[in-house]
Parts: sequence; C-alpha cells; structure tokens
Amino acid sequence: MSQYNGQRTLYFLGVAFTGLCAAHNSAAQPDTSAWKCEYCPFEKGVQADYKAGGGVVTDDAARFGNATGHDKQGGFVIAAGDGSYTSDGLQASWYLQDLGLDSRSALIEAGRPGSYDVRIAYRGLPYRLFDTTDTVYASTGNSLQLPGDWARSALTSGFTDLDANLSRRNIESDRDIIEVGGSYQPNARFELFADYRYQTQDGVDQFGGANFTQASLLPRPFDYQTDELDLGVRYRGERGYAQLGFYGSFFQNQNTALMWDNPFTSFPGAERGASAEAPDNRFGQLLFKAGYRFKWATRLLLSGAFGNMEQDEALLPYTINPNISAASLPRTRLDGDVDTTNLLLSLSSRPIAPLSLKFSYRYDERDNKTAQEVWSRVIVDSFASGDLETNRPYSFERNSLTASADWALRTGLRLGAGYERRELDRDLQEVAEQTEDTGWGRIRWRPNAYVELSGRAGTAKREIDRYDTELALSFGQQPLLRKYNLAHRFREFGELTFSGSLPRTPLSLSATLAYADDDYSKSVLGLLQSEELRYGVDLSWSVSEKAQLYANLGLQKVDAEQAGSSSFSTPDWRARHEDEFLTAGFGFKLKQIADRIDLTLDYTHGAGDSAIDVTTIDGRGPLPGLDSTLDSLRLSAIYKFSKRLQGFAELRYEAFEADDWALQGVAPATIPSVLTLGADPYDYDVFVLGFGVSYSFGSSQQTGDDP
Amino acid sequence: MNAAAGFWSRCVQLSRATFRSWGWAVALICVVPAGLAQEEKTASLLEGSYSRKGADTCLACHDDQITLAVFRNGHGIPSNRNSPFGHGQLQCEACHGPGDAHSGRVRRGKERPALIEFGSDRATPVSVQNDMCLACHKSDSGVAWHASAHDSSSVACADCHTSHAARDGVLTTTGQAQVCDDCHSAQRIAGLKPFAHPVDEGKMNCGACHSIHDGDGEHQLSRPTLNQTCYQCHAEKRGPFVWEHAPVAEDCSVCHDAHGSNHPGMLTQRGPFLCQACHSQAGHPSLANDAGGLANASPSKYLLGQNCMNCHSQVHGSNHPSGSRLMR
Repeated sequence: MSQYNGQRTLYFLGVAFTGLCAAHNSAAQPDTSAWKCEYCPFEKGVQADYKAGGGVVTDDAARFGNATGHDKQGGFVIAAGDGSYTSDGLQASWYLQDLGLDSRSALIEAGRPGSYDVRIAYRGLPYRLFDTTDTVYASTGNSLQLPGDWARSALTSGFTDLDANLSRRNIESDRDIIEVGGSYQPNARFELFADYRYQTQDGVDQFGGANFTQASLLPRPFDYQTDELDLGVRYRGERGYAQLGFYGSFFQNQNTALMWDNPFTSFPGAERGASAEAPDNRFGQLLFKAGYRFKWATRLLLSGAFGNMEQDEALLPYTINPNISAASLPRTRLDGDVDTTNLLLSLSSRPIAPLSLKFSYRYDERDNKTAQEVWSRVIVDSFASGDLETNRPYSFERNSLTASADWALRTGLRLGAGYERRELDRDLQEVAEQTEDTGWGRIRWRPNAYVELSGRAGTAKREIDRYDTELALSFGQQPLLRKYNLAHRFREFGELTFSGSLPRTPLSLSATLAYADDDYSKSVLGLLQSEELRYGVDLSWSVSEKAQLYANLGLQKVDAEQAGSSSFSTPDWRARHEDEFLTAGFGFKLKQIADRIDLTLDYTHGAGDSAIDVTTIDGRGPLPGLDSTLDSLRLSAIYKFSKRLQGFAELRYEAFEADDWALQGVAPATIPSVLTLGADPYDYDVFVLGFGVSYSFGSSQQTGDDP
Repeated sequence: MNAAAGFWSRCVQLSRATFRSWGWAVALICVVPAGLAQEEKTASLLEGSYSRKGADTCLACHDDQITLAVFRNGHGIPSNRNSPFGHGQLQCEACHGPGDAHSGRVRRGKERPALIEFGSDRATPVSVQNDMCLACHKSDSGVAWHASAHDSSSVACADCHTSHAARDGVLTTTGQAQVCDDCHSAQRIAGLKPFAHPVDEGKMNCGACHSIHDGDGEHQLSRPTLNQTCYQCHAEKRGPFVWEHAPVAEDCSVCHDAHGSNHPGMLTQRGPFLCQACHSQAGHPSLANDAGGLANASPSKYLLGQNCMNCHSQVHGSNHPSGSRLMR
C-alpha cells in the first residue's frame, strides 16, 4: 500500500523503539557514568539540502512519461530537497522530490523518538499508456457519444465518417496518494499507531465495448477513490510481543456504469450499450500478531487476520434496450459478502548455534457467502439469451505446512533441507481438492571470507483428486482441457549462485544460474509444459573511496507449449512460446575529481523477444516476433563551488522501440468488426537535460566531504 | 582362541549393524562438536570487559566520516533513552560488543581482539550480528524476522542496512530496489521488461508490496495474501462481483507477473493464448490464431488490438446482471 511502509516501520518503530541494548550482552554491565562522549559530534539544529533549476524534454513519449512525468516535450522545473531538524528530543525530517513534475512527492516526519511521531506524505503517480490513440467518441461524464451524423455500418470499412471525426485521446491517468499517520508510545512497552491513506485515480483507460459480433475499444473515463486505515496497538515485553490492529479499505467509484453509442448497425434498440463499472466495496480486517522467545533461541509466532468484504452497489438492469422486456432481477443489489481468514503459526529454533529449525503452518480461507441466484441474460443489449444462469461465488481453503532444517558446519559449509505440503480445497470449480508436495535441499559453502557458493534444488508435485469434466462441460469447456492452475504438475527447480571477491582488491563478482521446469504431463489440451532458464552476472569494483564501477548482465528465457483444438475434439493446433529477455548495464561513480566534481553514469540495455509459433493444420506460419529494445542512459555531474553551493547537470536519454503485431498496422478501422483506438507500438528517443544549483544549510557535518 | 575370534567377529558385525542403523547418529556426533565450537566462538564476542570511556575510547582511533555518520541518524541521538547513545546506554559497544580488549595494548605479533562486525562478508557469525540488532529492534520485525525467508537464507541485517549513514539507502524509495536487486537478480531483470511497476523509475519500492522483515505473509507480502496485497492499490478489483472470474478471486499471479513482463498488463503470456490455456469452448475460444489473422492478412478480432478483451473486457469480474461472459 505504501512505499513508505518500510521507512516508517524501520525508521520510527525500529530506531525509535530501540530497547535496552545492553541487556543482550552477557558481559558484566559497566558503570557508564564516566562515559562523557566528548568526541561525539551530535547533530543539532537544521541541516538541509535544496536544489532548484530547470530542464527540457526533447519529445513527447507516453511510455517514457509513465511514472516519471516526463511525457510531454518542453521545459520543466526542477525543485527538490531534504533536510532534518534536531533539538533536545525533537527530531524532524523532510524529503521533497520532483516538485515540478506530475510525479512529485513529499514526506514530512517529526516526533520525539521513544515518545511519539507523526508523518504526512504526498505522492503523485502519473500513468501514461498511449499518446497515439484516436477516437470518434466525445465523453460527458460516464457517457460516450458518437458524432451526431455518424453513419452506422456492419463493418468498420463502412464508417464513412470515421476519418473526419477522429481526434486524439491519450490513454492516461493520474494517481494521487495522501498519507497521514503517527504513533504514540506512552511507555517503553506500549505503542498506539494509526495510518490513513487517501488515494484517487482518475483519467482514461481503454475498454472493450461489445456489440453482438462487433466491438469498439472505448476511451473509458474513470474516477476512483480509496480510503485506507491502519490502526492498532503494540505491546513489547522482554521476551514477547503482541499486536492488535484493524485495517479498512473503502473503495468508491464515481461512475456506476459506462454508456456508449454503438457505432455498428445493431439489433433494434441496441444503438447504445451499457456496462457495469467496478462497484464500491468495503473491506475490514482485524489482525493480531504475537510472538514469544523461549529458551534455546526458540521463537513462536502467531498471527491471524479476519476480514470481511462487502459490496452492495445497485445493479443495472439486464439491458438498456427499450425493445427487450427483460425479466425482473432476482435482487436489486448483490449484497456480496466474503469472509477471509488467514492464520499462521511459525516456530523457529536454534537449539545450538549451528542448527536452525523452522516449522510453519498457514491457513487461508476465502469464504464467499454471497447468495446464489438465477439470472436471465440479455446478450450485449441485443437479445435475450433465453438461458437461465446461476452466479458462482467462489470460495477456497488453503492449508500449508512447511518444515526445514539447516546445519552450519565450522568449515563454512551450511546444509539444509525442507518440505512443504499445500492443500487447496475449492468449490464450484473443476478441481475440488488439490495438493502439492515440495521438497528441497540447499547448500551454502563459504570456505573463506572471499568466496561463497550456494545452491538450492528441489521438486514439487501437484496432484488433484479428479478433474470434473462434467462440470467443465456444463461451462461449455472441452473435457480434454486442463486449466493450468488446476492441473497435475511436476516441477523441478534449482538455483546456483557464486559470489567472490579478491583478498586485497575490492573487486567482487557474483553469478547466478536458475532453472525451473513445469511439466503438465496429464494435460491433453491447455498448457503442456513450461521451462525457465536464467543467468545473471554482476561485477562491482570499488577502485578507491572516490571511484566505483559496476557492470551486470542478465538473461531470462521462458519457453512454454500449449495445445488447442479448434474442432472441439483432439488437439489440432499447438503454440510454442519463447520469451527471452536480455539486460546489460554498467556504470560508475567518481567523486571529488579535482576535489570539486562528482560524476555518475548508469547505462542499461534491455532487449525482449517473444516468439509464438502456432502450428496449425493449414500451416499459416508463426507470428512475427514481439521484439522490444530499451537503451537508457543517466549521467549526472555535480560541481562544488563552495562548501555549501553546488551546481548540477543531469542528462537522461532513453530510446525504446517495440514490434507488436497486436498494434502494428492496426488503424481504427483495420479490423472489420472492431473499432480500435489505433494505438501505435512504442517507438521513441527522448533526451532530458536539466541544470541547476543546490545549497546546503546547517552544520558542516551535514555537508560531508565538501572542499 | 576361537572364543576370542568369535567375540571379535561379533564385535565387528555389531559395529557394522550399528553403523548401518545409527550411521546418521554417528555422523551427527561428529558434526555437533563442530557446531558447538562455533557457539564458543560466538560467546567470546559477547564476553569481556567494556572500555573505560565508551565512545570516546573508540573515536580516538575511529574518527573517519563513515564512523561519525552514525551521529546523523536515529542511532546517534542522545535524547532518545533507547538509542545506543541515550543516557546510560553502551554507545558504540551497544552494537559492537565489549571493547576493552580491542582498545587495549596488543603484544607485538598478536592480532587485535575482534569486535562484532556487521555484514555477511565479516567474520562475526550472521546469527550473532542479527541478534545484536534484534535485541533492540524488537518490534514486529524482531519477532517475525525468524519466520522469514531472509533469516533462512542467513541474510545479515547489515547486508541491506547501513547504520553509519545520514540516511539508510534501503529506506528510501529510490534506493531500496538497488539493494534488493543485489540478491534478487530475477526481479531486477523483470523490472526492466517493457511492462513493469515503476520500481526502476524510483517511484515505487519493494516495500510497497513486501514486508521485508516479516515472515507472516506469504512471500513476505505486506498483507496476508497476494490478492489482499494487490487490492491495496487496485481496490476496484476486490469485488465481490456478481460474476466472478475464478482465478482472479484466488490468485492474481495465475495471469500476472507483478515483477514485470514482455506482455501488456504484465501478463505472463500474450493474449489470446493466455486465455486459451484455460478456455476451450466450441467456436472462437478454441480457434488457432496465427499469422493469418495479422493486420496485413485477414485482420482478426481475436488476435489484434486487445484480442479477447476487445469484447470480454471485464476479466476481473462483472457486476452487471447480464455479465456472465464478462462482456458487460
């Protein structure tokens, strides 16, 4: 939920609630009355760094602007800073980033460590998907309208008014998050905490609006709001810990339906379509967690979470087609009601230093108590299906049992083994009972301080009680198909890692090789096999205190094979998927060149290649590769004019190019029965150049190693 | 003589049988002392006398910028009674252990007695290092840490955290992923794929989804399950809906790779093939989609654009009474 969670948890709850450290040491406690700490340079007052400047973006590029806010060509303001204030007991800090962009963020924390703390944060997160999309629709609220003189046709080729009415509509949205929180510690044992988060997300995304045999990709306006609340109380004893809390999430969608004009000729009355929007929902969860440390470094952890989610949004009618007299709804609101239960018992023990034992049991349940009703469907606002259908509120129960042991030998060798049993019970699906047994072994060998070799390997066997083909058939599914999340599966996996460094040279190298193979040997149709292979090499070299270099290389290959049957019988087509992704990067950080200049460079190259070879009876050939290439360079230079004043220059270059047959050559009217938004595959080269100055306030300690 | 030979023979047989049956125990007996020896070494780091002047003793030699940076974060606040530099606390030795022998005179040719050092590349056993940290940081991270995969993998706190810095890099949004990526290379690779959460952009960190110290959520997630974690930002998909899509209600990762993918929407495979791995109804769901359906051939609505989602756009669930096919 919050990217600041880690900061909050560690910085305030961890550091601020440090306990009596001395109690851990077995040495006799000294008389510290003479420990004056005269050489300790304690911080006091304000220390801060602020930077200001300007920059320019050389081109429009939605993907580049995604999350960064640099989606538009032109200038932008650079404004950022961070600082802290310390006085007797009071501590405050603030972090401001990218204030001149849509991706701006601010965090202010303050408090008296060991007593209370408060924090407030804001984050903007721009989501930019396409800036090459065109539509004929105008929007008013949740309604999309065609031009008044729109000539309908059964095929997109008959849209004579299309080109004249297309206008650019970016697929983009903005998320804004405000967080307010804090904690209060009345004494060393207790802590009360509360966090509130307010998130809004609004903009336009793409949505497939179906007609009977046609569809339109619509620029759907949306406007979401989510309020979240975390609050509770913690107790910490010398050996034990307990926490009781509540989490609430309250989602509101400003639109209950999306309505649109159907651009195609349609059944009478189906000139407009309506789709339900995501309903408002509420989730409340009570949480507890307790831990206790016994003798022999044995720790017990119990945690539980009991939640309930509900939604009672008013339902739309079966259809908005005035020519269809649909049956009355079995209920006007779903009154959806789901209970969730999550329990964990974990026991870890280190009876002697080299032996580590772990055991855990986990229980997860989703109990969907929503009533089942019989519904009569109107097919895409066109005509009544005549069939009656019952909704299927899915529930499941999952039990997991894990045990592992590790033994550390004095020679630097550490051996371990583990076992996990997972049981999953579902209802209303083809597989009711599923088990998976996983066993693994691991080894870690560290003959000296410079070399480490570790490996892990194991197998996992997933079995099911039976695949209910009668139920599958009732859904119209081919009885030979096995859904891959419900199918028998045998998995083999392994990973080998080497890391080493030279004794007197701060040069380190690490390499990883990982492998996983999934075999769905009992599946005739569906996913049959999947294999993943991954390599990675990392090199880093701290040439000196002022110079550091790094380089890395990574390759991941995922191959999969699936079978299908276009004749609803035995397999008559196969698809072979080969996904490959290569990354390479290097960079350096040079500090205090001529005592005044810091230079940082990071370069990343990524190349993706996804090939899908479909073998059919008529053999029309494989699909073209889904290739993408990313080159990203970030260069920054800092020049120190004085102890406090610095000038900076930042250059960022990114080039991205993708071949995507789903978009390539697909103009709005290319597909005869689908009016698309005509998005282009990504292809851009963008430079971002920024200049400015930064100034440091406060003590010289804060300014670090300035000249 | 025969009696002696028979006795010897029985002894050998008994020994062999015993070894066959109890070989593991014999091996264990050989191994246990090795472990116990390590325990002795551990104990020696925690025993001994403290220095006479506390931090002033240490800073007389260790006056470099890195060491002094501890006074620029929460560890170095004297007004916090619980900080290592709080009133009556043990200052540097609160973490590094008793230092009298280390700071004392060392005979020529002898090594200076070691203190507790931090980082898995240091001589101090990781368990000893972490116990030092957890002795003070005994909030929820302290308890649940021992149930975590990080603890199982002998990760030292100092492998990720820098206590001698004004701001610990792993606690920043922009810097955290760099630290995590050092070990989690698969996630680093995935994060650079064309469709990924904005972790590489520094706008989201690993801690947004993962509770890095806790072992009570599956995969150390910040909420008890994967779906509950995803709903924190994608609450519109929580439902429950009139028409649920079974895998969605159970596990988002059946279709999505949250760390990054070559395919839009961070899907594990490209549509329509991903959908066809589970949907085989007669008619268009079962058809083979190949090069014949490309834009330059006979453009197929089942292959191009949003493929299946051109019509079945409500894949996360529909709340429309006529939405059983996820088209409304």
